[in-house]
Amino acid sequence: MRLEKCWFCSSTIYPGHGIQFVRNDAKIFRFCRSKCHKNFKMKRNPRKVKWTKAYRRLHGKDMTQDATFEFERKRNRPERYDRNLTENTLKAIKVIDKVRSRREETHIKNRMKGKKSKITKEALKELDQQIHMIKAPGAMVKDASATTSAKVTVKVQHDTDENRMEE
Amino acid sequence: IKNDMIQPQTHLNVADNSRARELMCIQIIGASNRRYAHIGDVIVAVIKDAVPNMPLERSELVRAVIVRTCKELKRDNGMIIRYDDNAAVVIDQEGNSKGTRVFGAIARDSIHHFEKMQKKVKKANKNF
Repeated sequence: MRLEKCWFCSSTIYPGHGIQFVRNDAKIFRFCRSKCHKNFKMKRNPRKVKWTKAYRRLHGKDMTQDATFEFERKRNRPERYDRNLTENTLKAIKVIDKVRSRREETHIKNRMKGKKSKITKEALKELDQQIHMIKAPGAMVKDASATTSAKVTVKVQHDTDENRMEE
Repeated sequence: IKNDMIQPQTHLNVADNSRARELMCIQIIGASNRRYAHIGDVIVAVIKDAVPNMPLERSELVRAVIVRTCKELKRDNGMIIRYDDNAAVVIDQEGNSKGTRVFGAIARDSIHHFEKMQKKVKKANKNF
């Protein structure tokens, strides 16, 4: 039993899943599900389809080069069964997986850095434009503290102690 | 678990070098009026296109084994395999292939009946 990679999206194909297409030049295309199979039949290039791993790696969205990838190379020669080897391999798989996913997460986090100012700007804009979703328009007039830049004109009165109106 | 898709009037490519190029299925060996053939079935076919000036001629009746179908082949281990075309290998009454070499990918399910052919194919191609 061997876990293959989907030709289109690069996800693992477990036994009993997916379709294999054998072209007449004997090249095998394995697909994890009909979505990938149908995209292939449409002659789409996985490197241009945004949700595939091929696209993500090509455009630097996901980690491409790392030492942990070396462990998962395809080996064609079967190993002689050795209980210790199997045990150690299984333990190693867990550790390597953890390390690799941690590194992938940091890669994505680093990619998303520098967005804080953009996020705050967007939040302020949303507050301006969408405040009517939360507060009724009438309420805005009374209580202008909800908006940052109120479009309501307010007469500025210099309040002395005698003229101050009760709120 | 097999696929059923070849029926009389189906055109099949020829996957060996028996000098026929295209066959049309006429009858499926097994039962009278059997409807469909799948990978591994023997069919009676008419040669629709042949390489000129060779022993096998156009409109000659031959038997053939289906080795590739566009319809998916389902295996017991859950693997589903689909080929790019419908193809057959020309055989004679005993089950020996008329050609000497087999071209293209071939399903292992198709030739497990034919031991002599298996040896030929194993030498030449990748089996699936």
